[in-house]
Amino acid sequence: MVDLDRVFNPRTVAVVGDKKGQGFFWLKSLKTFQGKVYSVQIDPKEIPEIEALGFPNYTSLLEIPDEIDFVICSAPRGAATKVVQDCIRKRVGGVTLFTSGFAETNTEEGRKAQEQLTQMARAAGLKLIGPNCMGIYNPRNGLRFNVDQFYGEPGRVGFISQSGTHLGHTSTVGPMQGVKLAKGVSFGNGIVLDSVDYLEYFAQDTGIDVIGMYVEGPKDGRRFFQVLREVTPRKPVVLWKGGETADGTRAALSHTGNLVQSLPVWQAMVRQCGAIPVKNLDEMLDTLKGLVHLKPVFGPRVGIIALSGGQSVVVSDAYARAGLKVPPLSPASYTELSAFVNIIGGSYQNPFDVNWATPLPNLRHILEVLDRDENVDNIAMEIGGPYLSRRWDAHPEFINELFALLVDFRQHSAKPFLVMLTPAHYEGIAMAAREKFNEVGLPHYANFDRAAQALRRILDYYRFRREVAG
Amino acid sequence: MSEKTVLVKAKQQGRSQLTELEAKEWLREAGIPVVETKLARTKGQAMALSQQLGFPAALKISSPDVVHKSDAGGVKLNLKSQRQVGEAYHQIMTSVHQKHPDARIEGVTVQPMARPGVEVIIGMSKDPQFGPVLMFGLGGVWVELLKDVSFRIVPIVSRDAREMIRELKGFPLLEGYRGSEPAHLPTLESLLLQVSRFVAENPEIKELDVNPIIAYRDGAVAVDARIILEG
Repeated sequence: MVDLDRVFNPRTVAVVGDKKGQGFFWLKSLKTFQGKVYSVQIDPKEIPEIEALGFPNYTSLLEIPDEIDFVICSAPRGAATKVVQDCIRKRVGGVTLFTSGFAETNTEEGRKAQEQLTQMARAAGLKLIGPNCMGIYNPRNGLRFNVDQFYGEPGRVGFISQSGTHLGHTSTVGPMQGVKLAKGVSFGNGIVLDSVDYLEYFAQDTGIDVIGMYVEGPKDGRRFFQVLREVTPRKPVVLWKGGETADGTRAALSHTGNLVQSLPVWQAMVRQCGAIPVKNLDEMLDTLKGLVHLKPVFGPRVGIIALSGGQSVVVSDAYARAGLKVPPLSPASYTELSAFVNIIGGSYQNPFDVNWATPLPNLRHILEVLDRDENVDNIAMEIGGPYLSRRWDAHPEFINELFALLVDFRQHSAKPFLVMLTPAHYEGIAMAAREKFNEVGLPHYANFDRAAQALRRILDYYRFRREVAG
Repeated sequence: MSEKTVLVKAKQQGRSQLTELEAKEWLREAGIPVVETKLARTKGQAMALSQQLGFPAALKISSPDVVHKSDAGGVKLNLKSQRQVGEAYHQIMTSVHQKHPDARIEGVTVQPMARPGVEVIIGMSKDPQFGPVLMFGLGGVWVELLKDVSFRIVPIVSRDAREMIRELKGFPLLEGYRGSEPAHLPTLESLLLQVSRFVAENPEIKELDVNPIIAYRDGAVAVDARIILEG
C-alpha cells in the first residue's frame, strides 16, 4: 500500500504556476489551509498580485527555505518536467499535476511526454497524482482545490475520482444532500498512482466508513479486482463507471486516456466484488447518504407513511419496481391502529395514508406501531412541502416539534428509517427542511423512486456483506 | 495421458489446439465428468469400441489439423449398430481426405451419445485487463443468438458459481420446463468451481470451451471440449 499520509496531511504546500488568467484559484482555495502555503511563479507580471493575496513567492521550488510536503503544479506541459525534477530534488511528499496535454490528447507527443514523466517519477519513487487532475481534498485541514468546497468537521465518506468535476460536485452538492466527505482525491490520468492505490489507502483509513468512486478505467485490472474484492466486505464501495457505453468510452479516452475494454466483464466484476454500481451523481449521493445514515438494512419489507391515497398508490409502485415489498401489517398492528385512527379520510393498509392534519402524537403512535410490526424491516415516511408549509403557518413551532419527534424515534428504533421529501412548491421550505434533516443526520430523498432504488442497492450490499462474512 | 505429456506432445507438434481426446483426458484427470471417449485407428477398432461403449454411438474425426469437424464431414451421430459405425467410419475418412488432403489423421473418436438433458456451456477466455474470465450459458440459441451468458473473473467462489447460474434469463429452463427434467444445480455449481480451479492451476491454457455439457436431475457430463494453449 502506498502511504499517502504526508500528501493528505501536509504541514506545507507549494503552488507552482498559479496565475491571474485562471483567477489564482489554487491560491484562493488554499486560504482555508491550516498549514503554510508558498507560491512558485517566475513571471514577474504575476508576482505582485500573488504577494498582495498574502502568499510568499519564490522563483523556484528549491529556493523555498522550508521542507515542502505537498506540491500543486499548475505549470504548462513544457515546464512540468522541470517542476517534477525539482520536486524530486526537494524530496516532497507528493505532487499533484493539474497540467494536462498527455495521453488524453491521443497524440504521439502527448503519449511520449506521459511516458517520460512516468519513468522519471517511478525511478525516484515520487508520489505523482495525475496528471490532468485536481488532486487532494481534505476538509479537516482546509486543503481544497475550489473555493466552494466546505472545510471544517469532516464526514465519513472517502471519494476517489478520475474526474475533478465529479469530486468537486460530490464535495459541494454532497453536503446539501447530507453527504460530507472525510477525504477526496481527483487522480486524472493516474500514471503513477491509480484508483487502486487510493482505494487501498482509504480502506485502512479509520476516518472513512464508506467509499465512493468515479472510474473510467483501471490500469491494472487484475489488481483492481483483487483489492476491490478485499475491501467491500469491510467497507462499502459505491462505484460510478465513466464510459459505460461505446460513445461514453470514446469520451473517456479523450478525457484521461483510460477505458475498460470489455464492459460485460467490468459489470460482472462489480457484481462479483459486491461493489454498488451507480450511474450518475444523484444515485451516488443517494446511496452514500443511506450507507452513512441508515441503520443496517436486513430485509426488503417497507412500512410506509404517505400523505394521501394517491401517493400511497405510487409510492407502493416505486418500492415494488425496486424489487422491495410493501406488505400488509400484522393483525396485532391493525387492532392497535383501529383503536385510535379514523379510517374515513385515510387508510392504514400500508402504505399508511395520513393527511396533513394528523396530530403529532398520532404520528408518533403510528411510527411506533411500524417499529414493532414483525412484517416491517424498514420505515419510509413521506414529508411533503404542502404538509410542512400548512402546518408551519398554523403552528410556527411545528417544524421543531416534528424534528424532535423524528430524531427521538430514530434513536429508539433499530429499523432503517428514511424520509421522502416530496415536491414542494415552496422551495424555500424544502431547503430549510433539508438543512434540518442534514443537521440531525436523517437521510432524505427527493422522490419515491430514488428512495426505493437507494434502499434496494443498500439492502443488496448488506446481504452481500452478511453472506461473505459467513 | 498425463497433463505433461499432453502439453509436451502439442508443443512438439507445433500446435496450440489440443485434440478432443487430449482435452477430455486432461479435464477428466481434473475431476470433471466427461463422456467416455476412445480413439479408434481402424474401422474394426471403431466397431469394437462402439459395441463396448454402447449405442447409440457418435464418431468424430481425430486430427490435430481438422478444427471444424462438422464442416469437414467428420462427425456422425446416432449410430445404432456396429454396421452403421463401420459405414460411418468409411464416410468420415472419405470426406476428410477430400477436404483436408494434407491433414494428419489419428483415427476417429468413439463415444456413446449422452441421453437428452439440458445443454449448458462453460468457457474460459483471457480478458486483456482482468485475466482469465469464466463464462456460463445455456446451449444453442441462448448463447449463440441471445448472448444470454454470465461472467465471473477467475478464481471464483461458491457464491459466484451460484449467482452466475441464476443470473441467466434462461435460468427457468434449468429448473425443468414442459416435462424436461431439471438440472442438478449443485452439480453445475461444483463444475464451475472445478473449471475455475483447473484454469487457475494451468496458466498455459489460453482458451477453454466445454460445450455441450448435458445436465440431468442427478448429475452432468461434458460431451465435447476444446482447449487452446498459449504461445
